[in-house]
Amino acid sequence: MPACIEGRNVNLTFRPPNRRPVRALHGFDIDVQECEFLSIVGPSGCGKTTFLNVVLGLIKPDSGELRIRGKPISGPGTDRAMVFQEFGLLPWRTVLNNIELGLELKGVPGETRRHISRRFIHMVGLAGFEGHYPHELSGGMKQRVGLARALATDPDVLLMDEPFAALDAQTRDVMQVELLRIWQEARKTVLFVTHQIDEAIYLSDRVMVMTKRPGHAKKMFTIKLPRPRDYEMRVTREFNDLKLEIWQELKDEITV
Amino acid sequence: MMDDAAPRVSFPTRYRKVLLGSLSVVLFFAAWQAIFLLVPFNPLFISKPSLIASGLVDLITSGDLLRDLAVSAVPFLYGFSAAVVIGVPLGIVMGWRVRVGYALDPLMTVFYASPLVALAPLVVIFFGVGVAGKALIIFFLSVFPFIFNAYAGVRAVDRLLINVVRSLGGSERDLYFKVIFPSVLPYIVAGARIAVGRALIGVLVGEFFAASEGIGYAISRFGDIFALDRMFACIITIMVIAMVLTEGIRWTERTAFPWRSGH
Repeated sequence: MPACIEGRNVNLTFRPPNRRPVRALHGFDIDVQECEFLSIVGPSGCGKTTFLNVVLGLIKPDSGELRIRGKPISGPGTDRAMVFQEFGLLPWRTVLNNIELGLELKGVPGETRRHISRRFIHMVGLAGFEGHYPHELSGGMKQRVGLARALATDPDVLLMDEPFAALDAQTRDVMQVELLRIWQEARKTVLFVTHQIDEAIYLSDRVMVMTKRPGHAKKMFTIKLPRPRDYEMRVTREFNDLKLEIWQELKDEITV
Repeated sequence: MMDDAAPRVSFPTRYRKVLLGSLSVVLFFAAWQAIFLLVPFNPLFISKPSLIASGLVDLITSGDLLRDLAVSAVPFLYGFSAAVVIGVPLGIVMGWRVRVGYALDPLMTVFYASPLVALAPLVVIFFGVGVAGKALIIFFLSVFPFIFNAYAGVRAVDRLLINVVRSLGGSERDLYFKVIFPSVLPYIVAGARIAVGRALIGVLVGEFFAASEGIGYAISRFGDIFALDRMFACIITIMVIAMVLTEGIRWTERTAFPWRSGH
């Protein structure tokens, strides 16, 4: 079966004006299977977020091949959608209108838009908050909106850039459980970037450890924990052994 | 929203902002009136509140005040509307298109910083004493706050929101209408607050130089004939109008953009 996301030898160097160029990605290879949940962990500044932006089509790599279901990426497309760390909600739009944004930009007529958005409002558990503005919501609720907005355009691939990093620890735990439920329901391929090893193991089918900049794949771990996952798994021997193993790969890459 | 839960406060505490503000205005006029009891000013050169009040009543009842205001309102509306329609898009494009911004910023800054009032006689020579000349003066005085506030607003647009719309397939046009313009709107309203004051200066200056009616003309004519009570009545009317417009815009800023206080 062909991979859903296929990256071969992706290279990218940032060339900011009047400053030294920064090599962000160097020989980056990746294969993400259909409906797989794959997490990338790596030290700060290793290029994980940059890679997501490349897959999203916002940044063009200097060289290398990158395909979604065999189709080369040439810019943003409706087959991909991103959930952003800082939510990225339009503050002047209600919850409903924020979720509709992607559909609106695709030119979906108003009636259909509203119908689809309502379905995803229910899916992320925000029924009753359709008319609220982002500043009236908690962080967890904002990210539910971010998730619903991404899902509403029905992408094949969901890109998640440290989506729970701005949330407090308890909200994060709840959101992880919610994400797994929604992922099972929506059947999407997920590429998830995080700093947290626990989070990566708990959510993923596979976890990729990245090197420090210029970033590339260092080691891939397959997570054999059964699904559906539950919170108790996080305190098992197996889970902690895996966490230690990943940490040992990761720690050499971290420069403080 | 919190009012329901707020503890009961006495009337003076609740309205102390308004009460103290009004008190200083009342005291100011009382002191002005009282000083005439002590100093025998020549009424030819200075007026007092009681005379101004009766002058104001005369102007209102005769309909002169309203007629002058109506005359002045026409160039004000033309000039101010043109300032919005031209200033806002220009400022937005200057902010979003970096090269346009670099090219126009120095020129606009020079115009904004200079006393454009000095050009008023020139405008009168070119355009005469009609509505067009006055509207042009008002436009030149009030367009720059719109340009510069829109310009600053675009530079403060959250880049994340730009990326969000781009990533969902938004075009350049979508960026303008769905992110940039709504982000900049509060800045434009703040600019309007500054522009209103400058536009009113434009009204008066235009009519001082060349006019045969209007509130600015009335002020200068009453001054010429030493009818200081009516001159002050007109000035106070302009002050009240300026205050009402400015406060109205401030109220709009507070109520129309609730998300601004949210983060």
